[in-house]
Amino acid sequence: MAGLFVRLKLRLIAGNLRGDTMRQVGFVFTLIAAFLVAVGGLLLMSLLRLAPADVAVDAGMVTFTVLTLTWIAGPLMVFGVDDTLDPARLTLFPLTPRQMAVGMFAASATGPWPLATLFFLAGAVVGLSRTATGALIGVVAVILQAALCLVASRAVTTALSRVLRSRRGRDLLAVGVVFVFLLTQLPNLLLNQGLGADPRLMLAELASVVRWGPPAMAAHAIADGGLAGLAEIAVVALVVIGLWWLWIAALRRTAVTSDSSTLVGSVGRSRFDALLPGGALGAVVAKELKYLRREPRGRMGWLAAVGFAVIFTFSLFSDPSGSPGAAVTLAPGCLAALMIGLQSANAFGIDGRALWMNAIVYASPRDVRTDLAGRHLAVCVVAVPLLAVLSIGAALIAGDVLWSLQATAAATGLLLVGLGTGAVTSVILPYTYPDRLNAFTSAAPGQGGAAFAGAFGAMIVTSVLALPFLLPALFGVGWIGLLAVPYGLVVAWAGRRLASVIGYARLPDLLGAVSRPS
Amino acid sequence: MTDFASGDGASGGSGFAEAVRTYGLFKRFGGQIAVAGVDLVVPRGGFAGLVGPNGAGKTTTLSMITGLLVPDAGSATVGGADVWRDPVAVKARVGVLPEGLRLFERLSGRELLLYNGQIRGIPRDEVARRAEELLKVMDLLDSADKLVVDYSTGMRKKIALAAALLHNPAVLFLDKPFEGVDPVSANTLVEVLRRYTASGSTVIFSSHVMELVERLCDWVSVMNQGRIVAQGPLAQVRGAGATLNDTFLDLVGARGNGEEGLSWLGSSSA
Repeated sequence: MAGLFVRLKLRLIAGNLRGDTMRQVGFVFTLIAAFLVAVGGLLLMSLLRLAPADVAVDAGMVTFTVLTLTWIAGPLMVFGVDDTLDPARLTLFPLTPRQMAVGMFAASATGPWPLATLFFLAGAVVGLSRTATGALIGVVAVILQAALCLVASRAVTTALSRVLRSRRGRDLLAVGVVFVFLLTQLPNLLLNQGLGADPRLMLAELASVVRWGPPAMAAHAIADGGLAGLAEIAVVALVVIGLWWLWIAALRRTAVTSDSSTLVGSVGRSRFDALLPGGALGAVVAKELKYLRREPRGRMGWLAAVGFAVIFTFSLFSDPSGSPGAAVTLAPGCLAALMIGLQSANAFGIDGRALWMNAIVYASPRDVRTDLAGRHLAVCVVAVPLLAVLSIGAALIAGDVLWSLQATAAATGLLLVGLGTGAVTSVILPYTYPDRLNAFTSAAPGQGGAAFAGAFGAMIVTSVLALPFLLPALFGVGWIGLLAVPYGLVVAWAGRRLASVIGYARLPDLLGAVSRPS
Repeated sequence: MTDFASGDGASGGSGFAEAVRTYGLFKRFGGQIAVAGVDLVVPRGGFAGLVGPNGAGKTTTLSMITGLLVPDAGSATVGGADVWRDPVAVKARVGVLPEGLRLFERLSGRELLLYNGQIRGIPRDEVARRAEELLKVMDLLDSADKLVVDYSTGMRKKIALAAALLHNPAVLFLDKPFEGVDPVSANTLVEVLRRYTASGSTVIFSSHVMELVERLCDWVSVMNQGRIVAQGPLAQVRGAGATLNDTFLDLVGARGNGEEGLSWLGSSSA
């Protein structure tokens, strides 16, 4: 059974790569990354041998724990449910849960990352063991630790696979991804605040927190090498068996339950819509505002923009050497404006396959222009107050609320320039947003190049077009910022005009480009 | 090709007014020819069926007629207006329910209708009135405020049809409207469409369900391998005595396989 599943997994990997250069390149990068992790991990962990014994064991315990957590969170956050391991696809085969668990464990252990993990951990045997028995216990501990990573990761994915397959679950997860990215910025902030004065002390504290978790016990067992070590790996083994049992139970349960999340929930009828102008423009604004709230991929972008701007604000002003001033106040708002503007670099992508509903109606460039104007208006309705709040926040910290005026104006101008540029890239380099979220590509297979060129091009052009008001503002000519808004309006208008002519002419191409299967 | 249309078509002036006509539509995807010169004729009023096996080019043809796909060669007219030269006239005149039901997933059913009507320039109050009536007829009032992403297949077809009917088009293109729909919803769809055609509007739909085509259509076009192999009034295409299904299988040359082999199938001992 195990051999069959391993072959199935290998064949799925090969099948995924066939005839698709982008994926082949991606896979090569994965292999290189896994190789680097394997070799780098092996070396670094081995080097712990040179450190004092107590530091080595602390570092080992923390590393083992982090590795386990990465295994648990990684597949959830980055890939959603891994296709090859979705048990729902296997439920129709006459397999006992035990066979399925053995098979899926074998399949999980096949691939570059499990192998890299094993190498990484093997370094710990060299780095942590101080005696011959320690090395022997180490080999067992490392195998158990690798199994722990796999089983824990699989058990959690399986238990959550029902949630992950449901629409609501995936919506929630999408927002979760942003928080994880933001969390990765936390250590940075803490270090900036001067909390990391003594790294050695911090390591010891961290180690004491994780000391009695199974991964830390595995690491400690290698260093201990005595009876205590044996007891510790026995505990780890028990945990692995326990998780395995939980995993089988979860498999058994997912096999016979289904997604019921779509049976609930209505949306309220919006009263705000009545305030919008009638006709096509108002309709597009209303639709876009709803999509901002309800489309997880869109929400992700907004959350990321605001989150990074807030973090940026704190790190900017917590740096003691930096001199807060009017120019610095510009930064958070402009960063958020640039990120929000960039989301419009593929404006039709969020519509995706539904774009035909517009294409079937639009009979002149003017219609496309109205559509783009509606989208821009919707973005501005939400973004401008947001930019104002960010700028006021930054100005308050910097010391003068009045600075927020020019900061808001500059950020709004930058946003408008971004929208104008984005309108043009949207029709020149349209691409499909994949239904499934994936950290490595934001486009359908084969369109990664277009996505990259679109985002990068939009960023460069936006920055260059914004220089006329950003440069003087940075050098302290504050009042120039007030000209940013009219300037931005002109650029946005010109962008829409150009985009509507190009876009209308290639409406069928546009439709094809944003509705690729993904 | 068995073309019962060419004899008494509009060119002769004696027969019928055309709702749709294509001239040598041609489309190639990479090395594969999807549509190899289609001359489709559909008279005004009533139901017209476009049938053919999978991969015959039905969806591609409909996409080109509705202006969603640029043909490599040939042209198409709807109500006498050229699809690519006079898009304003054509787009105001057609309603479409495409294959795959690609809708704005994050709008509710009611919001989807309101959006559709408004981008077509219909006043908001009028759209709201029509939307409410359509929701009622389609039996969707209870789910009108649920997001389309949470709709079942039958509900999606019904809301998509409602969206296609909202601006009262003269010609309605439906790509496999009844596939994957439960009998109750299918019945609703048929009832609505019958009322629609009763006043002289035209429905053109593609389908694999021959019984349904036979029951609904006055006019049939049969496609195979990117070409029209027969078209005309249902009775003429079907011929005497046979069912449309038999005629169809003869036309596309799909008879008499599946008799050899499979000797193990049917005795469930293994």
